[in-house]
Amino acid sequence: MAVDTSIKVLVVDDFATMRRIIKGVLKQLGFKDIIEADDGTTALNELKKEKVGLIVSDWNMPKMTGLELLKRVRADEELKTIPFIMVTAEGQKENVIEAVKAGVSNYIVKPFTPETLSEKLEKVFAG
Amino acid sequence: MTDQLDSISKALEAMALEVVNLEEGDIPGLGKTMNMVSDLEKLISGLPEPAFTKVLEAVKGYVEKLILAEEQDTSPLAEGVSTLQAIFRAMTREEPFEGDISKVLSRLGQSGQGSELPGEEAVSESEVEDEPSEGQPEGAKGNSTSELNEEDREVMADFVVEALENLASIEVNLIELEQDPEDADTINAIFRPFHTIKGVSGFLNLHEINKLSHSAESLLDMARSGQLAIDGTIVDIILESVDLLKQMIEGVKQALESGQRPVCEHDIEPLVKRIQDIINRSEELKDKPLGEVLVQKGAVDKEKIKEILEEQKQQPNKKVGEILVEKGIVESKEVITALREQKRVRKKVDLQVKVDTKKLDTLVDMTGELVIAQSILRQNETIVSVSDQKLYHALNQLHQISSTLQKTAMAMRMVPIRSTFQKMFRLVRDLSRHSGKKVSLKMFGEDTEIDRNVVEELYEPMVHMIRNAVDHGIEEPEERKKAGKSEQGLIELRAYQRGSSIMIEIADDGKGLDRERILQKAISKGLVSEDNQLTDQEIYNLIFRPGFSTAEVVTDISGRGVGMDVVKKAIEKLRGRVEIQSTPGKGSTFVISLPLTLAIIDGIIVKVGGERYIIPALGILKSFKPQPSDYSTVEGRGEMLMVRGELIRLVRLDQIFGLSESMKSPWESLAVVVEYEGEKLCLLVDDLLGKEEVVIKSLGEGLKNVQGLAGGAILGDGRVGLILDIAGLFQMARDNGRQKNHALERVA
Repeated sequence: MAVDTSIKVLVVDDFATMRRIIKGVLKQLGFKDIIEADDGTTALNELKKEKVGLIVSDWNMPKMTGLELLKRVRADEELKTIPFIMVTAEGQKENVIEAVKAGVSNYIVKPFTPETLSEKLEKVFAG
Repeated sequence: MTDQLDSISKALEAMALEVVNLEEGDIPGLGKTMNMVSDLEKLISGLPEPAFTKVLEAVKGYVEKLILAEEQDTSPLAEGVSTLQAIFRAMTREEPFEGDISKVLSRLGQSGQGSELPGEEAVSESEVEDEPSEGQPEGAKGNSTSELNEEDREVMADFVVEALENLASIEVNLIELEQDPEDADTINAIFRPFHTIKGVSGFLNLHEINKLSHSAESLLDMARSGQLAIDGTIVDIILESVDLLKQMIEGVKQALESGQRPVCEHDIEPLVKRIQDIINRSEELKDKPLGEVLVQKGAVDKEKIKEILEEQKQQPNKKVGEILVEKGIVESKEVITALREQKRVRKKVDLQVKVDTKKLDTLVDMTGELVIAQSILRQNETIVSVSDQKLYHALNQLHQISSTLQKTAMAMRMVPIRSTFQKMFRLVRDLSRHSGKKVSLKMFGEDTEIDRNVVEELYEPMVHMIRNAVDHGIEEPEERKKAGKSEQGLIELRAYQRGSSIMIEIADDGKGLDRERILQKAISKGLVSEDNQLTDQEIYNLIFRPGFSTAEVVTDISGRGVGMDVVKKAIEKLRGRVEIQSTPGKGSTFVISLPLTLAIIDGIIVKVGGERYIIPALGILKSFKPQPSDYSTVEGRGEMLMVRGELIRLVRLDQIFGLSESMKSPWESLAVVVEYEGEKLCLLVDDLLGKEEVVIKSLGEGLKNVQGLAGGAILGDGRVGLILDIAGLFQMARDNGRQKNHALERVA
């Protein structure tokens, strides 16, 4: 099943380089409408302003972590249905489990290939 | 608790639904499942069910693996959840889960070595649980030491006592069940003790006991739900289980006494297998206690339950409750309350405190002392001389309180004779099976209370008398028919209180004692001479003489080389008496009279050489002032007194105890005639001072071995009196004359 690439994607990461990499991968997959946020708080502001169809967020961020962001999103009536993909580092199984319990749509472990993200997206939108 | 069960039940249902639809990589679904696991973990805390926790742990681990894509197959999860449900059902029924969780654990990846922290423990424990019989020493638990800690020991000691009590009750009820095999109450009464033993032994890791009691319980469970008809074979096999369990529990007891962990040396497998065979043969329906509860509650009618039970045969994994809910016949809430009610009924326990018997004995002794102390106080010269109303009032109150206290303390040590009587049921059953005679046993007054120290000593003599009654009293069925009696002989056990004595009667409706045969035997054994004129009573009493046995054929039942003399001795040791009443052709009755308690005796206080002695009233026949004409000396037998035409040996107490140098003439003294084992002695005393109830105190080490003294007692006036040991005095009189010679030397 093909993923609708016309939706707006929010990429959240405190590292600009990382945001760029993720954006690059998303673009490879055909996404064009991509916005960015450098931490959880700004991400929430963006979410209020824009109609976002997918969140791809890093776990490890200062101020507000990806997990906290996820929890806020899931607790918000307007935002809770937005697919949320968590990006984690290798060897952070516990974080993954935490995120899964908090209602993440899927997770992806850095470093990842466009194929892996594509697979995950397929799954997210198939469900 | 109730909400908790409810919530767990719901959580499990939801989880089952969730995992069924779960697909590989379904992260949100896995997330939900994960949350359910966490919720369950919280819900289950405080409900100790190792199997549930283990499986839940495994499920959690597996979900994590699915999340991390280390596993792809979601089906083990469904298995895990349905196992959890099965364990939960067992929990609601308050039964340990019996299924095999090792398979599901290995499916959930918990069989590998030490993957996750809980893994290792779970594996080793599950092995123990799955194969309890495989040479696992009982109570091997996790800790390697064979020493038991204090707490374990206490729990086990309680278990031993409780289990033995339970087993005793099973025996009696089984006999009842044989009479009325369909009586649900009786079946239940037998089922429950096994259930309790099974449950507790499970906790204590007494695997063999657990397994055997579980087997027996399963068998009875089938009987209870009407799937199995009780017959002699089943009663026999249950009795066998009781016997084996008793032996194993005795083993636990012995192990406890040596402070070791119990190790089972009994092979239970053959018996377990035989029970299982019976169960397999009659496995038709499943248990329906839940159904019964629901019927009682009016939630469903009997017919429906029957239908459901039929249906359950096709779905043996499903419980009645489940099917009922599935079919919409009963709401799940009602099933849960019914389960809870079931549990409540099973949990009902009397409030009791277990007290060390030593403490009880001390309490009885001390209250006895208290009574005496207050008596001393009342007789104190100074107090007596004071005329003060208030003081007298206070003393009276003290007297009342202390005597009530003493009675209560005594009562605490009293137990109903029931359990001793009940043991006889089993005995009679076995005896009648072996002898081919038909005998039934009835008991009356089994609630009569008796000092527990007496009860213990009473068992052996009673066994012997019952053996005797079956063996010599009750006739063969043919013989009974001819005599116009029913084929089945009857033995009655009766207990009642008369004055300060407990009377126990063992009556049979057999042929009665054979007067002539007893007499012939006694003459041939040289116990009596042919020209002796004996009353019937005297002849009957001959059977109590040592070495007397009328049985011509030594049977395997009573021919154990012990005669009725042993019975008499044992009873007399308890300061009791035994008498025989017998009517030819109608039967015999052995009447035992025992003191209410061992702590107190009725004593006659006598004065000997300025000292006071107490003669137990039970042994005294009469007292009289001898005339010179009654006195004679017989060559080789010493001094004698003629009492109603009978020459009785005279014993000078003052000489025996070395109180006096001079020999008083008997007619200046009083003679007390005492009897023991059919023999009589005249005890010469200076004076009779009166009758008193005295609390027996054992003599200290120094006086313990003095012959002729049984103990000491503090008398009402605070002085000490020594209690005479009648049996000892006879022994002294029999010992051809060391004392006598000693006495004669003094005379010379």
